[in-house]
Amino acid sequence: MQLHPRFFGRNLRENIVSKLMKDVEGTCSGRHGFVVAITGIENIGKGLIRDGTGFVTFPVKYQCVVFRPFKGEILEAVVTMVNKMGFFAEAGPVQIFVSNHLIPDDMEFQSGDMPNYTTSDGSVKIQKDSEVRLKIIGTRVDATEIFCIGTIKDDFLGVINDPANA
Amino acid sequence: MVTDSPVHSSSSEDFAAFLDVELDSKSSGSSSNAEKAGNEHHSDSVASSSPDEEEAEDDDSELENKRVKRSKVETAEIVEDDRGATSIASLEQNSKASSSKEICTHPGSFGTMCIVCGKMLDEESGVTFGYIHKGLRLGNDEIVRLRNTDIKNLLCHKKLYLILDLDHTLLNSTQLMHMTPDEEYLKSQTDSLQDVSKGSLFMLSFMHMMTKLRPFVRTFLKEASQMFEMYIYTMGDRAYALEMAKLLDPGREYFNAKVISRDDGTQRHQKGLDVVLGQESAVLILDDTENAWMKHKDNLILMERYHFFASSCHQFGFNCKSLSELKSDENESEGALASILKVLRKIHHIFFEESEENLEGRDVRQVLKTVRKDVLEGCKIVFSRVFPTQFPADNHHLWRMAEQLGATCSTELDTSVTHVVSKDAGTEKSRWALKHNKFLVHPGWIEATNYFWQKQPEESFSVNQTKNE
Repeated sequence: MQLHPRFFGRNLRENIVSKLMKDVEGTCSGRHGFVVAITGIENIGKGLIRDGTGFVTFPVKYQCVVFRPFKGEILEAVVTMVNKMGFFAEAGPVQIFVSNHLIPDDMEFQSGDMPNYTTSDGSVKIQKDSEVRLKIIGTRVDATEIFCIGTIKDDFLGVINDPANA
Repeated sequence: MVTDSPVHSSSSEDFAAFLDVELDSKSSGSSSNAEKAGNEHHSDSVASSSPDEEEAEDDDSELENKRVKRSKVETAEIVEDDRGATSIASLEQNSKASSSKEICTHPGSFGTMCIVCGKMLDEESGVTFGYIHKGLRLGNDEIVRLRNTDIKNLLCHKKLYLILDLDHTLLNSTQLMHMTPDEEYLKSQTDSLQDVSKGSLFMLSFMHMMTKLRPFVRTFLKEASQMFEMYIYTMGDRAYALEMAKLLDPGREYFNAKVISRDDGTQRHQKGLDVVLGQESAVLILDDTENAWMKHKDNLILMERYHFFASSCHQFGFNCKSLSELKSDENESEGALASILKVLRKIHHIFFEESEENLEGRDVRQVLKTVRKDVLEGCKIVFSRVFPTQFPADNHHLWRMAEQLGATCSTELDTSVTHVVSKDAGTEKSRWALKHNKFLVHPGWIEATNYFWQKQPEESFSVNQTKNE
């Protein structure tokens, strides 16, 4: 954690913590996933003055809540876009794509101004803003984003709350 | 009983026999019958045959039904016993088959993961579909598959695909800094961005742009959306394309995830249908630049360019006053969009109502060709002083344009000639036309006819008059 000298003084510790929160919360690291919230500071080490700038680097150990989906995990997500290739859903910051190979065969794509996947009897419908329960079958964690591939072609997966019927 | 298995198996045998006796005496319901069948399944056939004999003695008619069921279970069991070895073999086969199924063809990827099996893919293959979602790529086989399923769906709804260009087709934009002093008045006439559905002139100060929608465009989109699934395909960048889509389609009814910009194309300075998930035989394209669609000229309906702002006129080398400077605009009901809409309706009608072939076999490109051929049907055209002398006449774009419109072109004058196209009223052929009471028209007549898909009144393209313009 690099800090400008103007933050030094009585509130040094508070300043370090608030800067840490500002810088880290909401970011994504490839190793740990999304940092949701910092829960505690373990220790703040000795500062090291950078040559020439006056900035001081403090090593900070902290605990935080992270979110990182794993392969095989069951997630609940909100559908953001439906098209003929499948649908995209979001679980917090995670982007999930469910291709139409992984949507049950009895669900068919219906185009129109509200594209959706519907069963032949019309009882189940997946459209924008539907909530679905899906299984993650692949993840990729970038520096800033997490992409997932999901499936709803399994028992107990699919729509859990349809805004159209609510 | 738990410790060693032989005891367990024999006890289950005993248990099955015991159950049978119990059940036979009690004339059980179907549920316990099923339970018994399950038990029998575990025991071997010898054990199950003995209660059967027992049952044969029993002549209770109520059990008849049950016995049939039982014997079915038994035969199934015997079959299983006989095929004990083969069934294992077939199981192995099954597992082999399923594992070969697991070798995924990777039809596409999302963030470099296969969209079907979720595996990371090393090489980037296929075509990007960034306009649908960031990081999405599809392989060629998958595109073909999607097109095939989609076309059936679409034809059921009596729709075709329509690809629309933005600039000079549906609207005209200019940089604020390129506006001439004569256009300054426009800045006070802009419509509010709060409710874009009514306005047509917008100031997008954050993009340093001013945009004028072509007259009739709202009606056009509304009507066309009944007949077509519409895409926007522009040479502008993504941000601009999305901003324009917002102006044209504030309700997001028409172009949801169907806005393609130059960032999405696969070739530079070219527009291609490879990024469009539509079968080429059902796509119509509306664009003002023919050269952008080299590979898909048969799908193209060429639009007359819409120049509202002065900067756009200069860009294309016109030195006349722009519409904005003249404080006028295209005619709403007779403008280019209105006449093209009529053409689209006609094509749609012919495609769905008049074609003899079955739906899948139809090709909108053929329909387009025939509709185009009707426009100048029966005209015979002679050109005079239009082409350079050494130029092969039948290779000139006007010649070909006239032929596509259904006219016959000729280099010789005879009585069957109906039109003489010339830039100069003084040529021999022009004088001949006047003398024999044939139409003498400016080349612009053919171009206008090509844009409006309708034979234009020859009077407004007479040679002397066009000279003054």
